[in-house]
Amino acid sequence: MSDTIDLIFEKYERAQDQLIPILQEVQRQYGYVSPEAVKKISRYLKITENQIYGVSSFYAQFRFSAPGRHSIRVCLGTACHVRGGATLLEMLERELDIKCGDTTSDKRFDLDRVACLGCCALSPVVQIDKDIYSRMTVTKLAELLKSYE
Amino acid sequence: MTKEKTVSITIDNKKLHVKPGLTILQAAKANNIYIPSLCAFEHLPSYGACRLCIVEVDGIRGFPTSCTTPVEDGMVIRTETQELRNLRQEVLKLLLSEHPASCLFCSDKEECINFQGTIRKVGNTTGCRYCPNDHRCEIQTIVEKIGLTETSYPVYYRNFPVEKYDPFYDRDYNLCILCGRCIRVCNDIRLNGTLSFKQRGQKTTIGPAFDRTHLEAGCEFCGACVNVCPTGALSVKTGKWYGKQDKEGETTCNFCSIGCKLILQTKNESIVDSLPDYDSPLDKGLICVKGRFSITEYVHSPWRYSTPMEMTPVGYNNITWEKALDIAAEKIKGVKPDEVLMLISTQLLNEDIYCTQKFMRKIIGSEHIIPTPLIYLNNDFATYWNLCTESQPLEVIENTQFIFTVGFDSTYGYSPIGIRIKKAAKAGAYLVTLNDKETNLDLLASASFQVEKKAWYDVIEILIARDGKEKKHTEAQKILKEGAIDLNRLKKSLSKTKDKLIVLGQDILNHPERTRLLDRFEKTITKGGWKIIVANPYTNLKGTLMLGGFPYIMPGDILKTQTGEKVKTIKTQIVNFDLNKKRKLIYIIGDAPDLMIPDCDFLIYQNALPASFKKMPDLILPSNLFPETDGTIINMEDRILMVKKVIEPYMESKPDWWIISAIGERLKKGKFQFKDMQSIHGEIKKLIKGFPKIKDRLEFSRINAAGSKKTARFTPVPEAKRAIYRGIALSEVVSGMKVIERSLNE
Repeated sequence: MSDTIDLIFEKYERAQDQLIPILQEVQRQYGYVSPEAVKKISRYLKITENQIYGVSSFYAQFRFSAPGRHSIRVCLGTACHVRGGATLLEMLERELDIKCGDTTSDKRFDLDRVACLGCCALSPVVQIDKDIYSRMTVTKLAELLKSYE
Repeated sequence: MTKEKTVSITIDNKKLHVKPGLTILQAAKANNIYIPSLCAFEHLPSYGACRLCIVEVDGIRGFPTSCTTPVEDGMVIRTETQELRNLRQEVLKLLLSEHPASCLFCSDKEECINFQGTIRKVGNTTGCRYCPNDHRCEIQTIVEKIGLTETSYPVYYRNFPVEKYDPFYDRDYNLCILCGRCIRVCNDIRLNGTLSFKQRGQKTTIGPAFDRTHLEAGCEFCGACVNVCPTGALSVKTGKWYGKQDKEGETTCNFCSIGCKLILQTKNESIVDSLPDYDSPLDKGLICVKGRFSITEYVHSPWRYSTPMEMTPVGYNNITWEKALDIAAEKIKGVKPDEVLMLISTQLLNEDIYCTQKFMRKIIGSEHIIPTPLIYLNNDFATYWNLCTESQPLEVIENTQFIFTVGFDSTYGYSPIGIRIKKAAKAGAYLVTLNDKETNLDLLASASFQVEKKAWYDVIEILIARDGKEKKHTEAQKILKEGAIDLNRLKKSLSKTKDKLIVLGQDILNHPERTRLLDRFEKTITKGGWKIIVANPYTNLKGTLMLGGFPYIMPGDILKTQTGEKVKTIKTQIVNFDLNKKRKLIYIIGDAPDLMIPDCDFLIYQNALPASFKKMPDLILPSNLFPETDGTIINMEDRILMVKKVIEPYMESKPDWWIISAIGERLKKGKFQFKDMQSIHGEIKKLIKGFPKIKDRLEFSRINAAGSKKTARFTPVPEAKRAIYRGIALSEVVSGMKVIERSLNE
């Protein structure tokens, strides 16, 4: 990891305003911003790890745990919310025993929320990897999870 | 004198002339006009987050925040209109929609306060008290000033668990209003960067990265965030639930040789908080964990001696001062000069040292008065002293372009030096750090060497000798390469800069090659080109020597201005005391390790807390600690600083000078008639002109220790590893310091 992250640094000037572009590149290449990456960036840009975390946790685009084999996105846009999206998210959090934004310990799933997937007519909507599942219910979702390994 | 430029403004129909560059809020405050504000803090840059300080200004649309708007000539400002009042009330209501408000709006508020102090047989909570900062809270003041009596929004309780797992202070973010003061003070003033806003919107909290504890995240526990918190979100563990303090007093911290100014707050004669003074020119309010958080627990330790004690065959007996002094006098009477050994800490006050040396010289006629560092450092003492006399005032750091720190770390001490170095590095100075572990300065350093102690000399040689010698030091060359350090830039910066500064940390005292390194530095400093600052842990080292707490150096003899001597020669034999020779009497003020205490017939131990040595003292005399007594110290900048009494002494403990003088008076009547500080100062004045009101920096002679250096033995110095006061490690007494020490050793 340390070699590739050095390659990322080579592309960016050693200036504090390069923090977000570097974080974005790290997120793109590794899928998440790890504590080790934050440490490296901290040394490179001379900003403390705490400050870097503060900046990156502000933006929804950065995640701090490695993604699972499958990613579940629950839509909580207005339409999905009205038709029970929050209940789906709650059920998933309970079932997978993780919080929104985290990854299960067996790395099978990671769970996140999105604001709108653009298919409000099919609400409530859940996206697993690249597939969109419409008109979800708690029972349908539980069945569906079994088909992902 | 040229007249200072001013701008004229009008606030609430009052014509005012103020300095240009001020914000409206500052200008109003300077003229005693109250504008409510929560996020502004005197020593922090403007922020404009709380929106309470809004004002009306003619010609400016809307309601600008006074803390971010600079004054301009001819400005007409109104701070109190009905519209502003309504707006402020609304803003405050929104602010309080996430802040528990039972202490603010409650129909039973008055009665609640009256009955909270009810005396019961068991601990009982009357009324609701879920804020440890009750009666010290800025929100309470603001609500009163703005005249809010009720809130129309339901209070949303965020239900965060209270964080109690870190030492020294607790955090209850349910009370936090996200004003950001703690973050700004951590980042902008302390240059530490432990705190940051995390997440956003409703989920916003404050803390370090990745759910780390503050200890893991590099918090220095300086407590600056706790001072500035306007709510009860951050609270000192030892000062919680006390309510408003009833007294406060200023004094000088005695935990290291910087001597920061402290404002000690007390309630019922107990110290409840210790605050910095941001206007103090010496330390700029940048106190460290020792001064900020260790005093309460140290001074009010349950292990403190309350009365004099005498050893009897069945254990220690409490005795009266009369009896204790009689026993001491009787034992001392008639002993020969070389049968006595007086071991003193270098953290005593000048007046104590003066009385002690007078006692040794005039009553016993002995020169065996030995400050403990002399035994630890042995032959290196003279070199270390010489470097200390060359130590520059701290403001030099900010004007230096090249800083080289050796064995220095300011995480848990020496913050006024450390933060100045960080500031200089941020402003572009070239900073090189050398240590065997990661230090808090490494992040901002241009080059940081984390190398084993045995390679230090080579690194120092390359940096100081500048050129030519690199080939010889292949080990160091390797380190330079591995560390990916741009050697050319380093060299260029070295040869280019005239102001170069070495900051010598306390770690050097425990370096196995101490003698060689200290000699190297002394040679460099004498040659010129480099300046030095020695961060030394011996609070009153300078005062100890100046007032004669050293063999064969009389009070005032070490002052260059007084004797005209640049170098004072002492013989090495003096330094190499025979520590195996049996003595009749040993008198210890402070603490000493076992290896320094030879066999003796009678051992007197004078200190506030139990000793670390195994030998059982025959007589224990309880002494005061620095917040309980008046006096002076001389700090590393060679300035005389006042130590002032803030609380009454614990139980029957007495100042060191009082104890020594009382014994002296019993042995030779009329010689020690000291009643108070003034009488001691009167006597010292005869030997040292102007004492203690010397405003300038003092000048000290160097010491030349004649004799061979080959016999020097290496003794590790405890002060290099842990913070020590009067011989007792803070971590032995202060629970939080113990937690920190454990984390350092892991």
